[in-house]
Amino acid sequence: MPAIIAAAAVLILTLLPVAAPWLQFVLTLAIAKGFAALGVAVLLRAGLISIGHAMFFAASAYAVAFLARAGVNDLGLLLILSVLGGALVGAVAGSFLVRYRAIFFAMLNLAVSMVFYALCAKLYGVTGGTDGMPVPVPAVFGIALGEPAFKSVLFYLSLGLMVLVGLAVQRYLNSPLGHALSAVHTNEIRLEYLGIPVWAVLLIAYVISAALAGLGGAIAGFAIGRVVPDFAFWTASGHLVLIAVLGGIGGVPGAFIGALFLELLHSAAVTVTDSWNLIVGMTLIIVIMFMPQGVYGLFARKEATSL
Amino acid sequence: MTSRGMSIIVARCLSSFERLFRLDRGLPRSNVRLVVDGLAGALAIGIVAATPVAAQEKPSTLGLGIFTFTSGPAAAYGMPGKNAADLMIDEINAKGGIGGVPVSATYVDEAQGAQGVIAEYRRLAGDAKNQVMIAALSSANCLALAPLAEQLEVPTVGWNCDTHQLLMDGKSKYVFRPNGNTVPEFIAYAIYLLDRKPDVKTVAIINPDYAFGHDAAKIFTAALKALKPDVEIVAELYPKLGSPNYQTEISRLSTARPDVVFSNLWGADLENFVRQAAPRGIFTSSQVILALGETVLQRVPLPDGVIVGVLGDGWWMSPDAKAKPETVKFAEAYKARFGEYPVFPSIKMANALIYVKAAYDTAMQKNGGKWPTRAELADAMKGSKVETLTGTAQTRADNDGLVDQIVGVTIKTPAQQLPMIGDMVRYKGDSLMPQAGQDPLAWIATLKPEFAKSLPKPGSYK
Repeated sequence: MPAIIAAAAVLILTLLPVAAPWLQFVLTLAIAKGFAALGVAVLLRAGLISIGHAMFFAASAYAVAFLARAGVNDLGLLLILSVLGGALVGAVAGSFLVRYRAIFFAMLNLAVSMVFYALCAKLYGVTGGTDGMPVPVPAVFGIALGEPAFKSVLFYLSLGLMVLVGLAVQRYLNSPLGHALSAVHTNEIRLEYLGIPVWAVLLIAYVISAALAGLGGAIAGFAIGRVVPDFAFWTASGHLVLIAVLGGIGGVPGAFIGALFLELLHSAAVTVTDSWNLIVGMTLIIVIMFMPQGVYGLFARKEATSL
Repeated sequence: MTSRGMSIIVARCLSSFERLFRLDRGLPRSNVRLVVDGLAGALAIGIVAATPVAAQEKPSTLGLGIFTFTSGPAAAYGMPGKNAADLMIDEINAKGGIGGVPVSATYVDEAQGAQGVIAEYRRLAGDAKNQVMIAALSSANCLALAPLAEQLEVPTVGWNCDTHQLLMDGKSKYVFRPNGNTVPEFIAYAIYLLDRKPDVKTVAIINPDYAFGHDAAKIFTAALKALKPDVEIVAELYPKLGSPNYQTEISRLSTARPDVVFSNLWGADLENFVRQAAPRGIFTSSQVILALGETVLQRVPLPDGVIVGVLGDGWWMSPDAKAKPETVKFAEAYKARFGEYPVFPSIKMANALIYVKAAYDTAMQKNGGKWPTRAELADAMKGSKVETLTGTAQTRADNDGLVDQIVGVTIKTPAQQLPMIGDMVRYKGDSLMPQAGQDPLAWIATLKPEFAKSLPKPGSYK
């Protein structure tokens, strides 16, 4: 049954941009943020809240911009290299951050990400400061596409990746490594006694979550066509945590549901009033108060317990 | 309409989920139904609202997408723009609209950041009714929207967009800026300063810490060095945008004791800086230049002799502006409606709307009175010369604008309670601009002291 729901949802997403072409950009962005929120959700499994994941999102987006400036001009290559870039930053930051727990972990992530933000904004000659860097339209397998065609390719590619990466992350979460994450949350010392290195479990999770955020950042960079330091600002990190919690951390689809919900809500709110912040905020309060399991909790109450 | 039908089908499908997949497990049935129906309804409305209408001969209304900051700290600059747009559109509609079609604007809040702004731009561009975008205030947003405007082929008028990077490649077909850019705007201050205070030796800069502040510092310094090579920059301070407290920076300024303090702080930042710097004697110990000083004249008492300007010619009390009845009328109507006289961001926005209206008039003249397409509008903007509220906006071949630059100093006059701008100079727009395609900083480096001698002197504009 859940497979059918998921298939139907993906089908609707496939068709939506045909009905309303401007939605394509919103949906691409939502999927991109969904990837990043999924990264946050992976760490939330281990009870670790990262208020700094926008750093990996931005790192990978900047990687795309720098690689494009250096002359790399292929979508696939740019995506792979930039995600590796995000993962590399994740490995470096993770190597010392995963020794911390709870509020210390959250705050240190925040601190590191804000250092990254400040560097992006201050290194004016390198990163263009707050005006950011352009991301040109790359070739797809050697075919130079026009902008509208490229944006469609990007959207359907993200949609495909959402399914594939989503399944892969589901496999990972169901593997012993994934289950070890919840075990870290419940009783870390017991895990050590069982001979499982907690540090390694968390570092792997951290790198995976950074790579997911990086994938989202790269897609967002392509979709927006410009990378600005605001990508790494702490409010962007908070946004990702919010998406993860809003969608529900019970399963992989939660992050994407949360991202779609928030992006569509935002788009609807800004068309109505200048006080769009108010509408978004009120809705979030309502969702969090009346759906503590997140939106995904509505759909998947049963599997969440069996997972 | 097929799309309307489609969206209703989608909505039906969505609301049937609740029965299909028994979403009501564990929750009161009505709640879930409400949520799902609500989501489906919102989706359907969104789709119907977003469906492009077919282009027709003369539409019932002419839509404009206007991008400005309506929330957050930058609204201090953005809201005067929005107010002016509201007023200007009312004035245009009172006279029968553009070509007999009433204008209606959709405002987009730039405080959403580049992502939200792009999403809104795409949505508005998808509706054929919206033929022109007036975007945007922030340089970062302008730079992000420019490639989009070219791809979607929507004429886009930068009403503020100061950055000199915007039209540098000279390939723009649909992006226009009937405005000065950072290069003439800040060279003007260097020239004015050297005319007024030829013996200046030391300069300190305090600008906001983002691209606008850094660009301005770079251009102002380069121009000073080219025109008077022995000038020394003794401090460059970049406080964070939106800082409430400038005491540290003011201490640095008072210990550095520069001859001149240059700043392009703006909005609440500028008000805070002036309020904190005045009691500590910065205005008496140094010649202060406030590049955006005109925006706070009505709000904080500036001492006499501060060099201020309007980043262009958009001062509603300049001799040229006062000679135009429609400008005086606009300023009075603005004061009556919003309780303050317009500031130069208001004038920039009003001028952008006049520019758009002129493009419609030209385009309709060219095609024999038919309603113009987007391409015809862009064509009409190309190379145009438009009479604005405060002067003329000429569009060059690279779509960049040439407008005059007004600089002066604050003076108090008995007739007016507010500080006024006196000892003014009005530099011709083309005299301070590099040729199209020329690298601006390289051009500034080639300037010679003789260059400044050929320009009008302070006090020459009366």
